[in-house]
Amino acid sequence: MADTSNLHGNDLPGAEHPIAEAWRMFRRNYAAMFGLLLLSVLVVVTLIGPLVYNVDPFEIVWAPLTPPGEEATAPLGTDYLGRDILAGLIHGGIATLAVGLAAALITVTIGLTVGALAGFYLGVVDDILMRFTEFFQVLPALMFAMVLVTLFSSSLVVVAIAIGVVSWPPTARLARAEFLRIRNLEYVAAARSVGAKNRRIIWRVILPNALPPLIVSATLTIGTAILFEAGLSFLGLSDPNTYSWGYMIGSGRDNILDAWWAVTLPGGMIFITVLAVSLIGDGLNDAFNPKLRER
Amino acid sequence: MHKFKSLTLIAALITGAVAATPIQAAEPVKGGTLVIGMTQKPRHLNPAVQSGTATAVPGTQVFATPLRFDENWRPQPYLAKSWSVADDGLSITLILRKNARFHDGKPITSEDVAFSIQTVKDNHPFKTMFSPVEKVDTPDANTAVIHFSRAHPAALLAMSSALLPILPKHVYGDGQDPKSHPANNNPVGSGPFKIVEFKPGEHVILERNPDYFIQDRPYLDRVIIKHYKDSNSLALAVDKGEVDMYPFVTNTRNIARLKKNANLEVTNQGYAAVGPVNWLAFNTKHEILNDKRVRQAITYAIDKNFIIKALHGGFSQRASGPVVPGSPFHAPGVEQYDLDLERANSLLDEAGHVRKDDDMRFKLRIDYLPGVAEQQKAIAEYLKPQLKKVGIEVEVRVAPDFPTWSSRVSSHDFDMSMDIVFNWGDPVIGVHRTYLCDNIRKGVIWSNTQSYCNPDVDGILAKAGVEPDAEKRAALYRDAQAIIVEEAPIAFINTLPYHTAYSKKIGNAPTSIWGTMAPLDEVYKTQ
Repeated sequence: MADTSNLHGNDLPGAEHPIAEAWRMFRRNYAAMFGLLLLSVLVVVTLIGPLVYNVDPFEIVWAPLTPPGEEATAPLGTDYLGRDILAGLIHGGIATLAVGLAAALITVTIGLTVGALAGFYLGVVDDILMRFTEFFQVLPALMFAMVLVTLFSSSLVVVAIAIGVVSWPPTARLARAEFLRIRNLEYVAAARSVGAKNRRIIWRVILPNALPPLIVSATLTIGTAILFEAGLSFLGLSDPNTYSWGYMIGSGRDNILDAWWAVTLPGGMIFITVLAVSLIGDGLNDAFNPKLRER
Repeated sequence: MHKFKSLTLIAALITGAVAATPIQAAEPVKGGTLVIGMTQKPRHLNPAVQSGTATAVPGTQVFATPLRFDENWRPQPYLAKSWSVADDGLSITLILRKNARFHDGKPITSEDVAFSIQTVKDNHPFKTMFSPVEKVDTPDANTAVIHFSRAHPAALLAMSSALLPILPKHVYGDGQDPKSHPANNNPVGSGPFKIVEFKPGEHVILERNPDYFIQDRPYLDRVIIKHYKDSNSLALAVDKGEVDMYPFVTNTRNIARLKKNANLEVTNQGYAAVGPVNWLAFNTKHEILNDKRVRQAITYAIDKNFIIKALHGGFSQRASGPVVPGSPFHAPGVEQYDLDLERANSLLDEAGHVRKDDDMRFKLRIDYLPGVAEQQKAIAEYLKPQLKKVGIEVEVRVAPDFPTWSSRVSSHDFDMSMDIVFNWGDPVIGVHRTYLCDNIRKGVIWSNTQSYCNPDVDGILAKAGVEPDAEKRAALYRDAQAIIVEEAPIAFINTLPYHTAYSKKIGNAPTSIWGTMAPLDEVYKTQ
């Protein structure tokens, strides 16, 4: 049997591979490249930083609420307990990025599964799954996440799951729309005509073609998830046993009038991360979307 | 020489002028409205069936008690013009004022006193206050004789402040449950002020009782107790002069901010009796914490000085034992557990908890009372890096709300917990409960949740509870505290930095042992 991926003609001789083409488009987008650069710097700082600046972020190093620039031991100042803000910024990144990634992964997994099944099978399956999705969609996301974290515990794993569980409906709707559109295209009919089974059509024919908008949405979800974690932390629902930027904001909030740096600096890191992720997401969107290509 | 003379003259004039001002201000002024701001909101205004500061502040204005206490812990006549304790300590005779009347005009009799003692005994959460009361005789309308099954020296203090409000029997004696009596929202008392309006969660408006049994008192026309949603907005209102008095300020940043305001006085007087102790409680049934050496080691490893000076800006005080400094039963001579990491390490080694490969000995969980972050959360988070220094890994467990925390601690499902517990004047009321073997009661918060049990301590506390001689009593409490502090079921840390901020227009600000939880009949306000 012929490989169905040939049916939509992307691999015709002489044509550029779609990934390479997207990358070419992406590179032309200065904003997106800037986002990629920012994110790379953040990832490097987060991964290598702790080895270079080896200070336990929980350790009390100097007098509490020391402003930045006053003391060499804590160049960016200390928080209300006297913990080093710089150590917190460097060590807290991993947890924050991990929560963002994990939550995005959960969002995409649930959203894609629900959306793909609903969009492909239609009928009763679609009705049930979409009512289920709407049920989640009408719940205020932040409130729902707060309830989950309060019910279980405020450990980082629960926070990631909670964020994932409350933010998948838009992804599901997007996936369903893509599947609905693609399932009626000729190459799907062609695949079916040569005897491809449903599973093969979903995995090998529709999914690869539905991916680009989903990748964009997943990228943006990372940013939303990081913001979400910061929001939960601000409400005091962060994990006090793992140093994250969100935890820094949550624990510094009470002293915001006396020590702006304890809240503003981790807030700035979150801002930069979310900005980088959003720029990359937009860049991917432009690169994948043929209608915008020669804009 | 001449020059020198004139200088001294000027100096004398200046000092004279300066000295003259307070003398003038010390002359009490009649009239005016005192606005008190509070964040604690009362559910109702009957302190006979409800403990806590929210009900006590308005409750002590509306209801008079047999006695009141000055700032030196001496009982003073109030509704009772005199009283006498029998030599064997088994009875107290109160002679009531003849002119005292309730706000509705009915006279106060010994029947009302007997009725009130019974109501408090049956309904108040502080069971130990009147549990030894056998009966109250009323030989005539102005004499009440309280008989005890055993000597009960704590009774005098339990007849002051909000602890024994004299209720009108003709209102509360109608057979309805006093805990849900309709009069609790619009109570009839005999105190210096009577109720005008109570809007739950918003304010309590009180006005001068013109028939108050103390002549020419109170000075103020009105007292308004306004309720604020949080301490920051209340502190702001005090700063702007919208509120004359803010009692129970706990947040040290607010204390520091209010102290900078030239129109305000800020004092920590008036909290000797309430006696709030901030402590780290150990679950002494825990497999590691059942060894007193481990508990002592942790206590040695806590830098109390850092907590008080750095975290609390120097506004809280060291508490080294069960009874707060400022109480006559305080024990200053107990082990102070000054920071000593070496000693902590060797105690842990001795207890058989050697450091493992990762340099850690064992792991413990810490809970904390949600609420005053600076006192509870901050110290719990501080202990994480601090105890790591002696090889103890600490996991902070967050409770999202009070019921979650209290159900964990009261069901003994905890290793260590930051907690605030109040002395409430006499050790019999607020201290015994934490240490008695028979008060290990699952499901009851602020009972002996540490599961600490030492029959010797029980014996000394039982003796101290009935010892009529104040000196001997204090000595017994010192003995008990020495044992408790040594065995360390609790690491005592500090007293809450309670402060009262009030406008400089206010004279005779309340500084007795009960502070604002006592009649404000002497307070006045200049214009």
